Formats: sequence, structure tokens, C-alpha cells
Amino acid sequence: MPPRALLRAPRGFSAPAFLAYLAVILLVALVPQLSHKPLILHMWIMVFLAIAQGSAWNVVGGYAGQYSVGHAAYFGIGGYITMLLLEQHQVAPWYGIGLAVAGSLILSVIIGSITFRLRGPYFVLASIAMAEIIRLAALHFRDFTRGAEGILLSGIPPLTTPWFTVKFLGKVPFFYATLGLAVIVVSANWLVQHSKLGYTFQAIREDQDAAHSLGINPTLHKNLALMISAAFTASAGGLFALYVRFIDPNIAFGIDVSVQMVLICIIGGIGTILGPVVGSVVLVLLSETLRNPKWLVQAGVMSDESPTVNFIEAHLSNAHVLFYGVLVVVVVLFAPEGFLGLLRGATARLRKRLAARRGPPSRPAAAA
Amino acid sequence: MPAILEIQHVSKHFGGLAANSDVSFDVGLGEIVGLIGPNGAGKTTLFNCITGYYPPTRGEVLFKGVRVNGLQPDAVCRLGMVRTWQKVRPLAKMTVLDNVMVGALARTHSLRVAREAAREQLHVVRLEGKAGFLAGGLPIGERKKLEVARALATRPELLLLDEVMGGLNQSESEEIILLILELKRLGLTQVVIEHDMKAIMRLSDRLVVLNSGEKLAEGPPREVATNRDVITAYLGEAVDA
Repeated sequence: MPPRALLRAPRGFSAPAFLAYLAVILLVALVPQLSHKPLILHMWIMVFLAIAQGSAWNVVGGYAGQYSVGHAAYFGIGGYITMLLLEQHQVAPWYGIGLAVAGSLILSVIIGSITFRLRGPYFVLASIAMAEIIRLAALHFRDFTRGAEGILLSGIPPLTTPWFTVKFLGKVPFFYATLGLAVIVVSANWLVQHSKLGYTFQAIREDQDAAHSLGINPTLHKNLALMISAAFTASAGGLFALYVRFIDPNIAFGIDVSVQMVLICIIGGIGTILGPVVGSVVLVLLSETLRNPKWLVQAGVMSDESPTVNFIEAHLSNAHVLFYGVLVVVVVLFAPEGFLGLLRGATARLRKRLAARRGPPSRPAAAA
Repeated sequence: MPAILEIQHVSKHFGGLAANSDVSFDVGLGEIVGLIGPNGAGKTTLFNCITGYYPPTRGEVLFKGVRVNGLQPDAVCRLGMVRTWQKVRPLAKMTVLDNVMVGALARTHSLRVAREAAREQLHVVRLEGKAGFLAGGLPIGERKKLEVARALATRPELLLLDEVMGGLNQSESEEIILLILELKRLGLTQVVIEHDMKAIMRLSDRLVVLNSGEKLAEGPPREVATNRDVITAYLGEAVDA
């Protein structure tokens, strides 16, 4: 018997799943009403940004199967355009991010038309090279980007609408802004998976030549996937720069930005809607805990005097990359479909066991 | 019989190697043309030239009177000509149904319509029982059928089959033969590359024989089978000749 599809695409719209999704968003949106502890809110914001980045990468890497390790190019261009417009031309960031998205679309078309001539590992290398070229350019053209000095944000003007005014003080506005972006990008993944575009992307991922013979234009659709991905990545980059109030070529265009986006998907489950969400939670918890374990104290999980917190602060604050490495090896060896694949496998086995207990299994249904 | 496909003086050179040289023949509407020849005769190369994978070095390919050499494979498919692959190419991590839907989506934007069409095609090749399985896990016989179903889902007017019976057992081959004949009855024009001589004699209205990239013979199966040149190409010359 050939294996049944474990990671089968869900069939279209399901009302209970949609309601559950809405409920989760609403619950999460209540968090700042319950607690204003800055380190906790910081964790959430980092998770939302990671979800936005991972899900954005997932469109081109997960669905279309083009493993770009150069997405820092779009993240950085988003951050730089937003910051430069705000600091030098006083363009409000909500317009700035819009222009950053436009810039990233142009950049993605240029990079795509060059790198998509290559396949497999050659494409990966070319994508890394593109991001590095931009990083080095950002370092070099000091008059324009201020080079390695970076750009420090002096302040964000308040957002005034006829109904309300938002002052960008503290973490709460960023909590909602990043949550909103994460919701948009995850929803975009759902739309891609449940449309002709998703089938097209996946066919290219599985076999580009076969897809080509079935009426799919691979070059066009790979570029489309990259454009969607780049636009969301640039939005995340813009929000990130505004949130940390500083940007320099290494923060914006460094290869660890690109690698992190890939790792989120690999660890969570590549080419699935929830995979990047799961991967973001795992990776951000890991890296932020190692960098600043004090959030555990604020969360009330550990006391201020806890030896664990002190040990992490003293010895492991720079070890997150090491932990990433170990985690990736473990996932690739033991859970090639990521944490989400593990979860689904476990629930499938559980369901089978329950069904077996309920009565002798009838003839296995061929298509369910 | 009006020609649906006209191959005119097609040559394909790879450096100094002439994989096809000056091949010409027509395929009439509704007929099955068998394309045979020893290994390396240039059969698959000719398929690649017809369907847009290689631009021919010289010559013209007309499909329904439209020049198609120089077109990309996806454009060729949308015009109504689709091929299968000798080495099957299932979209391994997608289900059997999704594989066929990818084909059907060449003609529609609606997933619902595509799903219906895909189920229909799976029924035609008798794979409907495997709709929910991952394509990568199918045995070879079913992969070949999936290949045909996926091609049919693009609603072609001309189907190019590249050794769909290779590696199949007797009963699986028989199923494919009946399928090809059924498709013919429904009016589908087909060009079939096949090594199994018994099968190809039974299927074809006309045979085209390629040898070392050149067209060696063309005609009704019985005639071609007794052609001296063809016998020589397959079996070699007599020792004292």
C-alpha cells in the first residue's frame, strides 16, 4: 500500500477552522489589556515579526520550492526605505512602509529575473550573493545610507485619524501592528494554498519540467511567488526597524536574517500554513530566552534569584546560534516535516488507536 | 484526413551530434501514429522538439496549422498538445487527485471545476481509488496511468505518449492499450513511442521509423514490419553482406 497523504491540503473553506482562527487572534489581541510587562510584550512582538517573516518566506520557499537564502535583501530594503524616508524626508512610516513594499517589488523582479535562471543549489548560492551585494552596497554608499554607522530613529510622529490618535510610545502599538501583519501574511498563505496559484507553485516545486508541460509558465510563477514573498518581508523589515529604532547594514541585510527565515519554516514545517507559526514560537522562545532570560521572571515562571536565569545570563547569552544548529540537525534527522509534521503524525496515530479501540477497522477507505 | 501535426524537415543538433536530421511526417486528425526505432534513434528528442523543450536547429513544426517551434512548453500545452514522460514525473508530495488537478487547471481558474475534471480523468484511467494517496508512493504501473490522466486533464487534441508501457507487466500493458484505443474512439489523436512491437503493431494506424536521427520508413504497420531497411536497423546486417 502506498502511503496515504499525511500533509494533505485541507479542502477549501471550513467554518469551524475559520472561527477557531478568529478566536485565537482575538484572544491574543487581549494580551496587552491583561499585562503591560515590557519583556513579555517584547516576546510577543518578536514572535509576530518572526511569523510574518517565516510565512512570507514560505510562499516562495515552501510552496514554490525556491529556497532563497537571500531574503535579508527584502527585509533590509524594507527597513532602510522606511527609516530613510522618515529620518530624512519626514515621510510618516505608514506611507513609508507602502513605498518600502513598492521598492521591494522592484528589487524582487530584478533579483528574480537573474537568480531564477538557476535551479537548486545554484539558485540558493545566487540568492545569497544578491543579498550580500546589497549589504556591501549599503555599507559602501555612506552618503546615502550612513554606512556602518547606521540610522538611529529620532521619533515616530503620532498617527492621527478622525476617530483616534496613536502615539508610538512603548510596546503596545507595535504589538498590534506586528500582530496585524502576522495575521495578514498567514491569511495570504491560506489564500495561496487554496487557490490555483498554490497548485501552480507546488507543481513547480515538485517538478518544474512536468509543470511546464502541463501549461504552467515556471519563470512567471516563480517571480510571482517571490514578489508576494518580498512584499511581506519588506513590511516586516519596516516594522522591525521602527520597533528597534535603529538599523545598520548587518542588522538589515546580514545573512543571519535570511537564515532565520529559512529555519523558521524548516523547524515548523515547510510548505504548510501553520508551520511558520509553530517554527516562530519555537525559535523566538529559544533565542530570546538565551539572549535575555529575564522575561521568564516577568512572566512569573521563574523567580528573580533563579539559578537557571543567572546561568543563562552568565554563560549562554551568545549561544543561540549553537542551539539553532543543534535544533536544525535534530529536526532534519527526526522530523523532516517539522514540528507541525510531528504533531500531525501524533494526532493521526492517536486517532487510529482510538478507532481501533472502538471496534474492528472496516476496510481502509481509499479516499477520505 | 487533414493533418493536425506537420513536422517539416526538423533537425536537432547537439554540438556535432545530429539527434534528428531532416525528419518530416504528418499526423492526421484522429489517427494513432506509432514512432519506433532502436535506442538512441532520436524519438524522445523529436518529442522535445515538438513540445517546445528544445528549439529545433532547423525545420518547422505546425500544430493545427500554427507554427509551434519556438513556443514554450506551456504555450504548446495551452494550444492543445501535451506529452507524457518516459521517465515518469509524478508531483511526488502532492496527492494523486492534486496531480491531475494541476493538469486540469490549465483550462480553468476554478479549483472546484478542476477537481471535478480531475476525478473524471482518474475514473478514465481507473485510478479513482487512489485519489487521496501521495503520488510519490504509487507503484510504477499506477504512476504511468497517473501520467496519462494528468496529461488528459489538460484537454489535449493531440497526446504524445513516450513509452507509457515501459516497465509494465502484461496485464498493465493491456490496460494501457485498451485505454489508448478507447481514447482514439473518442476522437483523440495520438503519437505513441513504444518498444513493445506487438503492442505498437496493434495500436498504430501508421508507423514512422527513426534510425540514427533520420526517418527510415513510414507507412501502415504491416508494410513497415517487412521493410528490409527496418529489419536491418533493428537486427543488423547479415554477416556476409
